[in-house]
Amino acid sequence: MNQKPGVCTFCGTGCGHFIGTENNRITRVYPSQNHPVSKGRLCVRGWNIHELLDTPERIKKPLVRADGGFKESSYDDAVARLVDALKKYPPESIGFLASPRSSNEEQYLLMKLARAAFKTNNISLDSDSGHRASLNVLHAGTGMAGMLGSIEEIRKAEFILVAGIDITRQNPIIGSEIHMARRAGAMVVTLDSRRTQIAKLSKKFLQVKPGANRLAVLALAKTIYDENLSDAAFLSAHTEGFEKFRHAFGLLPDNEVSDRTGIPAEEIKAVARDLAKAKSAMVFFSSGISGLDEDTIGFIYNLFLMAGKVGKEGCGVNPVAGLNNLQGGYDMGIAPDLLTGFQALEDTAVAKKFSAEWKADVPAATGAPIYTLLSDPSSKLKALVVVDHDEGIVRYADAIKKLDFVAYIGAFKNPFAEYAHVVLPIATYVQEDATFTNTERRIQYSMKKIEPEEGLLPGWKLYAMIAGKAGLSWKYAKVSDVMDEIARLTPTYAGVSHAKLSAGFGMQWPVDEKNPQGTRRFDIAQAGRKLSFYKVSDVFEVPAAKEQFPFLLMVGKAQHFWHQNNLMKKTHIPMREYNATLMDYPEGYVEICPRSAKEIGVRDRWPVRVVSPHGEMRVDVKVSEDVKPNTAYAPYFVQEMISRFLLGHTEVLRQGEDATIPVRIEKV
Amino acid sequence: MTMFLIKKADVGKIAQELGREYQVYGPMIEKGSGQTFFDRAEDVAEINLSAPIPSNPPKSVVFPQMERILSYEYDRTKNTVKMEPDYEVTPKALVGLRPCDLAGMLCLDRFFMGQEFVDEVYLNHRKKMFIVTNTCVTPFKQCFCVCTDSGPAAGEGYDLNLTDLGKEYLVEVGSEKGAALAAKLSLAPANDSHLALKKEKVDQSIAMFEDIAVDSKAWVSRVMNRVTTGFVKDDVWEYIGDQCFECGACTFVCPSCSCFNIADVNNTDCAGCADRLRTWDSCSYEGYSRMAGGHNPRKPVEDRRNKRFFCKLSYSQMKKYLRPGCVGCGRCAWVCPGDIGLPNVVTYVRREITG
Ligand code: SF4
Ligand code: SF4
Ligand code: SF4
Ligand code: SF4
Repeated sequence: MNQKPGVCTFCGTGCGHFIGTENNRITRVYPSQNHPVSKGRLCVRGWNIHELLDTPERIKKPLVRADGGFKESSYDDAVARLVDALKKYPPESIGFLASPRSSNEEQYLLMKLARAAFKTNNISLDSDSGHRASLNVLHAGTGMAGMLGSIEEIRKAEFILVAGIDITRQNPIIGSEIHMARRAGAMVVTLDSRRTQIAKLSKKFLQVKPGANRLAVLALAKTIYDENLSDAAFLSAHTEGFEKFRHAFGLLPDNEVSDRTGIPAEEIKAVARDLAKAKSAMVFFSSGISGLDEDTIGFIYNLFLMAGKVGKEGCGVNPVAGLNNLQGGYDMGIAPDLLTGFQALEDTAVAKKFSAEWKADVPAATGAPIYTLLSDPSSKLKALVVVDHDEGIVRYADAIKKLDFVAYIGAFKNPFAEYAHVVLPIATYVQEDATFTNTERRIQYSMKKIEPEEGLLPGWKLYAMIAGKAGLSWKYAKVSDVMDEIARLTPTYAGVSHAKLSAGFGMQWPVDEKNPQGTRRFDIAQAGRKLSFYKVSDVFEVPAAKEQFPFLLMVGKAQHFWHQNNLMKKTHIPMREYNATLMDYPEGYVEICPRSAKEIGVRDRWPVRVVSPHGEMRVDVKVSEDVKPNTAYAPYFVQEMISRFLLGHTEVLRQGEDATIPVRIEKV
Repeated sequence: MTMFLIKKADVGKIAQELGREYQVYGPMIEKGSGQTFFDRAEDVAEINLSAPIPSNPPKSVVFPQMERILSYEYDRTKNTVKMEPDYEVTPKALVGLRPCDLAGMLCLDRFFMGQEFVDEVYLNHRKKMFIVTNTCVTPFKQCFCVCTDSGPAAGEGYDLNLTDLGKEYLVEVGSEKGAALAAKLSLAPANDSHLALKKEKVDQSIAMFEDIAVDSKAWVSRVMNRVTTGFVKDDVWEYIGDQCFECGACTFVCPSCSCFNIADVNNTDCAGCADRLRTWDSCSYEGYSRMAGGHNPRKPVEDRRNKRFFCKLSYSQMKKYLRPGCVGCGRCAWVCPGDIGLPNVVTYVRREITG
């Protein structure tokens, strides 16, 4: 039999699969029936992953810049150039842009390389880095910097809220679990501005006006408070800081809620009652590429906490990671202010522990995320190391071109490599043993399936080689030694080893002495502390359409992430599927409802001009019932659209999915 | 019909003997996960005739998930093209095929070889094949072959058919190749009492469906007429279509589904060289039926769902397959994220459930 177990590495769901090989090539994939997360299911991406894993579009040789082009080189030479280049600069001028797709072992070593060898804290995750917002809220509130619930417990939830995430497209198998729960009788409620598939499959759909998610969540909380539906005993025994959150209720103008959210007051109240009376409840949201902002997530967490739906079976405040090892990236300390397991860099005891293990000092100077540095014209960044860029579009290309030195490390061809001075190939994730941590904190082992091409190094060996040239001596005999070191330094990973992981379907952190088999969900009984309400704002400005700009334009990034994804472009069938919309609307589109289309006098695929106070663009319209009158939706996936129009609105876009731009739409 | 007996302890000899001439495939249990696969046996002793129905359909032997069917080289300077068809010709033996899966393969035969054009790639996989089927003396949770006339015992298309009679297997011969193998193994002859015992076993198995095959209750015959005549209300299809995640799984796991895609991939090791790949495809994908110029005859997802169930459940498709396209294996119900496997769809259509 030729079926090797592993994990799908497209999204953060972490579905189990089997890979078949022939002559050291990947030829097929099949779902793992007994996997606790996916239970025999895969989505369109997962079912076609063998197309990616067999792509010829790989980087196979080290390359260095010469006479305006690239010339093939050796690891020895290319690594020496990289180290020499970086050594020229002070730490504040060096940056590392890590990939949320790299394995835990590779993430960890890159983090160690940045800090131990090049003394910089300028390190951050590429793509989807908004996940941090969720982790901040949950860590401050409960001490757990990850999903509080568990995918396996979705079918135990009586109430499920899906807030602002097109989950059947982004993480389809989690969407499937929610759908199954709904079919078994759970009260599933979707809160979104667009009618997504999960909205259609939900029992209730609250179609909120763009930008008013926070207000809607607050209104839910206020109902629970006004009607005295919260669990007073739970609140006093297990929580602190409710008084401060309650303060926000007084500021909510009751009579305006329905007008500003676009949802009838009675519908909000009914959902609040559903939530309060359910024995168990979960919420799913995304703070990814353009998920919700930190403040809105704070409101959602507070709502579930006051309803007493945290730390019990079938409960969970659940951020959803869009990329396969995004959670693992944060676990491995890929952030300017973090070490592994969300340990604070500024905690001197922690820094000392790392310095002792590394036999090298952890730098104390403040670092910054790479995209912050690239967007800041006065930044000192001069040299950048990028690993496996995930997108087909390179943002901040102008700033990147101005850097003195760029190194690209990756397994697959990527447009980012065009900006590099040194390109270093690494093996793909099926060519080495590796672990990945999915969105529910499940650390999973993926066994090597095929040998790397002749002479090609896996990432961990390359990083050790770079460290060696930089004067350090890292002695890892095998990749599992790296995990052993992670376990020594990281309380939440303390009990993890490759040997333990390879026996089953992974373990959810914390894995420690108290929980040797891992921890399925956050448990109030084990918390050993009071849970705090998150400090949220008390200003509820909702973007309002104005006379000259009567439409609220939402910019959807997450939904279209896969259209322009670098890996997706190396497949045949998923690429065709993701491009199907693009083929109908090659220049992108703005989606409006039939009533608005009629008012403007246009039909599907007719061109229009979208005008905002800051710019304008010409696109085709897509007419659909999925948006409400006077709201419009533009997908963020067409290069042209991004550079022509949306980049002029970067401030707005930074705010996440709630970002809305008032616009006027005209027939041309 | 000639019949023989083989002791349970000796049944492995069939695969062993076949292993001399054929590449042998059969059901095997993956140790780490307990999942059954129908796969190539590196060691024929791995084949486990009492394993449950394999999670994957055996169609991958004749119709692999991804297969290089051609390579070509274009020489720019001379303006010439060299083409090499890449056929897999090794003779293959399938040992322990479940009856539903054999029925599925016969559907594929009729699709790939029984129409105007014969598919050479498929033909080469299929032509020298030896098939040993295995009667299901107990059904499994998701089975409903009784409703689709494809099990629990095979009727035609095998070289040898095995039925577990308790201490021994009844070996029914279905072809000359089968007879030759039985002779080579010097099997003991069986008589009518053994055949009667087999019939009893099969009847018992059918009776067990009520209690064991509880996952999939499908009253297929009741909906065939309605699906054929198009007499299914739109909102039933819409209700079904809304639940489709467009993953393609139902097609991939179906022993009788034949959708495929062709893609040419540059071979980066050689300028001007490319491989032609054939891969599984699915009618549930929007891009599958999309034609150049943006016209898509089956754009809304409920129409694409409708196509699959039409293919599985209509009389018009029976003309192609000479039987219903669905062979009752129940796999699509296992893998569907939307919970609209064929049995549920049959129920929705039959009872006009729309929400
Ligand atoms: S849901 Fe995510 S992990 Fe699962 S198959 Fe799809 S892409 Fe892969
Ligand atoms: S569907 Fe019928 S033939 Fe197929 S495995 Fe089940 S019982 Fe056997
Ligand atoms: S339609 Fe479903 S039950 Fe019928 S043969 Fe195909 S996979 Fe099996
Ligand atoms: S398996 Fe289910 S969800 Fe997937 S394409 Fe088929 S019907 Fe749709």
